[in-house]
Amino acid sequence: MIGRLAQIAGAYFRSALQEEFAYRGDLFGNVIRSVLNLGTAIGGVVVIFSHTETLGGWTLGQTLSLLGIFVFVNGFVAMFMSPSLNRVVEEVREGTFDYVLMKPVPALFLASARRFAVWHVSDIVLGAIVLGVALAGLDVRASGWGVLLFVALLACGVTIVYAIWLALTTLVFWFVRVANVTMIFNLFFQTGRYPIEVYPFWLRQLLTFVFPVAFVTTVPAQAVTGRDPSWLVWVAPVIAVVALLAATRFWRFGLSRYTSASS
Amino acid sequence: MSADVRVRHLVKHYEVADREGGLRASLRSVVRRRHRSVRAVDDITFDVEPGEIVGFLGPNGAGKTTALKLLSGLLHPTAGEATVLDFTPWERRREFLSQITLIMGQRQQLYWDLPALDTFLVNKAVFGLEDAAYREAVDLLVGLLELEEILTKPVRQLSLGERMKAELAAGLLHRPRVLFLDEPTIGLDVTMQQRIRDFVTRYNATTGATILLTSHYMADVKALAERVIVIDHGKLLYDGPLTGLIDRYAPHKTITLHLERPVDRADVAAYGEVVSADDVQVSVRTDKAQAASVTARMLAELPVADLSVEDPPLEYVIDQVFHRRAS
Repeated sequence: MIGRLAQIAGAYFRSALQEEFAYRGDLFGNVIRSVLNLGTAIGGVVVIFSHTETLGGWTLGQTLSLLGIFVFVNGFVAMFMSPSLNRVVEEVREGTFDYVLMKPVPALFLASARRFAVWHVSDIVLGAIVLGVALAGLDVRASGWGVLLFVALLACGVTIVYAIWLALTTLVFWFVRVANVTMIFNLFFQTGRYPIEVYPFWLRQLLTFVFPVAFVTTVPAQAVTGRDPSWLVWVAPVIAVVALLAATRFWRFGLSRYTSASS
Repeated sequence: MSADVRVRHLVKHYEVADREGGLRASLRSVVRRRHRSVRAVDDITFDVEPGEIVGFLGPNGAGKTTALKLLSGLLHPTAGEATVLDFTPWERRREFLSQITLIMGQRQQLYWDLPALDTFLVNKAVFGLEDAAYREAVDLLVGLLELEEILTKPVRQLSLGERMKAELAAGLLHRPRVLFLDEPTIGLDVTMQQRIRDFVTRYNATTGATILLTSHYMADVKALAERVIVIDHGKLLYDGPLTGLIDRYAPHKTITLHLERPVDRADVAAYGEVVSADDVQVSVRTDKAQAASVTARMLAELPVADLSVEDPPLEYVIDQVFHRRAS
């Protein structure tokens, strides 16, 4: 089954590549956009640190590492997640989602792994470079265990983002137009540019337990920059699994509503 | 041999938000929506045997598309049962979905910016087709639909008719045994409609697939389906051969005369109901049973230059069906 799904995702990915090649101009546009975005983000951090030594207890190097993680995850989400899930929203509105349901493949898989915005690879690469350079400046010693922990935490963070995206997308089965929901998601997601320690108490709670952006950037960054890992490290996998299960259940519920309430 | 499609007392209701026009009603509907239940499919029962072509007829909103969606597993029914190839459609089992197809004339699945061939390759992976089976299917479809030129051009550059052909092919690569075609000829010009019709007939003859189709165009149904199912307001009004439908609802013949010289309209009216009349061309509707004797009398008594006897147009028949129901 896994092999078959991988083959299907591969076929979709090839089509996505070909589709992107049809619009080569996007490549340059995206690279320029990535570089500009990154430039202003780094500029912002540097300006802040020209007034202060630490930000919520984080040094310049640590904050830049976190920014690298943010840019990386942001690119990953933009490349692998949002295109497919946004497509679902469009298809439900246009009625072509029926063709997805007619395929002998789980609908959740097709909803999640059909479209790829290949050019966002530039964000992924730039994010990794920023993280690498910042870490080199920090002089942290990377143990095998530390790297493993970091990758695991990053995976938890990405899983959490996917779960939130999926849950928000599922709302389309009730409301048909959910563009604003995407905006709300981005609003929260952008808070991940900075360590959650910089936010006031109530927002910190919100970003940890309700809209758990903390696990996407702050927690992995804590692990990789050698900061004291907080107890959140151990909560991350729990939240990731719970969020994923809840989101997929909600998706199934939404889908069953779609097939029983429409005409 | 059991029926390919078996439908028993199938019912589908759904809720629609109901509101009057105007801003005030819009505002009210944001807070509180009134819902109205629509009976899209209301207790229909029928069987379709393997290899049959059945045409669904009915006005817009009659429930044709909803019926097809129920049978292809996209919708859960409110009540009743159905099996397609012995599967319950809305369980959406993989084995079931691999053996059927739903093609909607108004909705496309092809990648817009890529040649249709790329969508084919995706579908090959999605349906897990072996290379040989895939090539065989493509060859068959390219032959039947005359696709050679079409497959390698980006879909956005295709004409509507070409796109529909490619859509049909994309939906048939996995050699489904049951085809649900929803308005496959909608918006196409007459020639292209004819081509699609020919294709459906030949595909049915070549593969023995069972085909259920809906159409607005009477010509489609006339050319394709020996058996028609007429639905209106979700109810099944007629199920049987097309000829039977005509006998039952419009047992008339239309006799059209070309006259050598104009005659008094009253002289013509004596033979039956005058449908249309100008100087030298007159159409008269008579009972089917009397068509032969009326024709003979006309030939003897009127200055006839030419004469033809025809079944009433299908549009008229359908009109009669719905009219009779309404009254």
